[in-house]
Amino acid sequence: MIAHRTQIPNGPIQPGFTNEQLVTLLSERFGLTRDASDHWDLTLVCQAEQLRDVVKYLRDEPTLSFAMLLDVVGVDYLAYPGHRSERFAVLYPMKSLVFRHRLVLKVMVDEDACVVPSLFELYKSAEWAERETWDQYGIIFAGHPNLKRLLNHHEFVGHPLRKDYPCQKRQKLSMNDPMIDQLEARLRSLGYTILERGEASVGQAITRPSAVPSALPTAGGKP
Amino acid sequence: MKVITPQGDHVDLMTLNVGPSHPATHGTLRILAALDGETIAGCVTEMGYLHRGFEKMVEQGTYSQVLPYTDRLNYCSAMMNNIGFCKAVEKMFAITVPERCIVVRVILSELSRIIDHMVCTCTNLVDLGALTNFWYFFNTREQVYTIWEKLCGARLTNTMTRIGGMYRDTYHGFEDDVRAVLVKIESAVHEVRGLIEHNKIFIDRTKDVCPVSAADAISWGWTGPCLRASGVDRDLRKDEPYYGYETYNFDTVIGTSGDTFDRIMVRMYEMIESVSIVRQALDRLKPGPINTLDARLSLPSRDQVYHDMEALINSFKLVYEGVRPPAGICYDATEAANGELGYHIISDGGTNPYRVKVRPPCFTQYAAYADMLTGSMLADVASSLGSINIIAGELDR
Repeated sequence: MIAHRTQIPNGPIQPGFTNEQLVTLLSERFGLTRDASDHWDLTLVCQAEQLRDVVKYLRDEPTLSFAMLLDVVGVDYLAYPGHRSERFAVLYPMKSLVFRHRLVLKVMVDEDACVVPSLFELYKSAEWAERETWDQYGIIFAGHPNLKRLLNHHEFVGHPLRKDYPCQKRQKLSMNDPMIDQLEARLRSLGYTILERGEASVGQAITRPSAVPSALPTAGGKP
Repeated sequence: MKVITPQGDHVDLMTLNVGPSHPATHGTLRILAALDGETIAGCVTEMGYLHRGFEKMVEQGTYSQVLPYTDRLNYCSAMMNNIGFCKAVEKMFAITVPERCIVVRVILSELSRIIDHMVCTCTNLVDLGALTNFWYFFNTREQVYTIWEKLCGARLTNTMTRIGGMYRDTYHGFEDDVRAVLVKIESAVHEVRGLIEHNKIFIDRTKDVCPVSAADAISWGWTGPCLRASGVDRDLRKDEPYYGYETYNFDTVIGTSGDTFDRIMVRMYEMIESVSIVRQALDRLKPGPINTLDARLSLPSRDQVYHDMEALINSFKLVYEGVRPPAGICYDATEAANGELGYHIISDGGTNPYRVKVRPPCFTQYAAYADMLTGSMLADVASSLGSINIIAGELDR
């Protein structure tokens, strides 16, 4: 899956490029522009279509060697004062272990399609980070093999970090996730052929229906 | 379930649900494993049992109100989370805190790193059945908590820093207390090392168990002691020094094979390096102001508030509205006990953070856990989980 050879850093970290040099290099090659709202470090705005090419170049070019995808950060600009363009953004903070340079890629995401390409094949760290961003914001990562909820319960409806999700909203969640489908997919990816499903394929209720109160306390009521 | 293995054998795998909880209760986690005898043929992991919605909560309050929440991320070294968040907000204001504050923060960070490593290693050893070490480390850790108590009144969740400084200066006798506890730490580490380093049972249980190669660790986004155990010599304190870490004399500790043994031992030796940093920092601790005088961040003195209209307004605005960092996107990271603790803060220029994303170091480590376990024994579930130091508070947020 991950075909390239990671450069294992050896010895002290090298100075690498300055932010200005990175801007020049990447604007010439990919037409990336510096995000004006980052007054402190380097955030570059990237189109969703070119994301994989840019990231692959950043990772594989020996003079850049951005070997580590630190995180995948979703942002909802719905309530941001004066924001006019696409509603969502995904930020990809990256760093090199050979050179002392860092950058953040910023991809604006349209509310209707709400999709960006997955970096699953390029970085192992993308797998869970993208799942979390999908869970919290509902942004689809096209090409991700297992885009399931990670932090929230699997019965949860909606995406809680969206600005239009009320902070006090409650949901009733009762069944645990059997996870057997994930386990089977995992075994298949390891080369197993499944002939017969296991016993755990039926989920079990962790609370009796009668034990769940019909109405949950609302905001401002007694806890 | 009946399967055909990659080698072509027909076997009947047993599915076993490990958790929520147990694996020596490093947090409420769940593993669903398919077992071939006692070997884990494949497994999937689940998290989120301690998800409180940290990132949603912090959007509702002011920047100062975020601080108590950060305590609850990695609760084994709460001060480092406070310091990381304050450092990120201070970066947005482009201010440097006074020299004394920096040195105190270094001392508190390194002592927190020591107690975090202590909890990690000794609970990990308890998982393997080595209980004695637990008392050596927890007795010493208790003495560090006594210092925390004297400093700020709280033990586990300290909220010791403030944006632009500290909650209060150190107490009279702080240096002596710290020097005394450093001696205790050194002797505890020495004793525990003596008990385990050449212990056959310990070595058998940890050597070559769940190894992670350097290339994998980098691709998984590992940072901190776990990355260094895989042989990658990277530490933010050396590579992108902050708070004058480049002027301290200390070594980074690296492993060779990235197995459970290395991950425990890297932490063990890092404690000794941290002791040395704290000693050097104590020598540099000079009297002086602890809070910045920048009126955008620091409360004016009560004397000024009672006698000066401007100071009264400033105090009122800071208490009722809080600080207002300039609008924009800012990422800042510190080397916490577990690795790179990053805060991605998006400000709209108002008093509440528009978005705060924490990059918890153990998130990437737990993501790799299912891969690490594949092909290992069921008995290694607990020992390898302890060695990657999963703290559910920062994992689930």
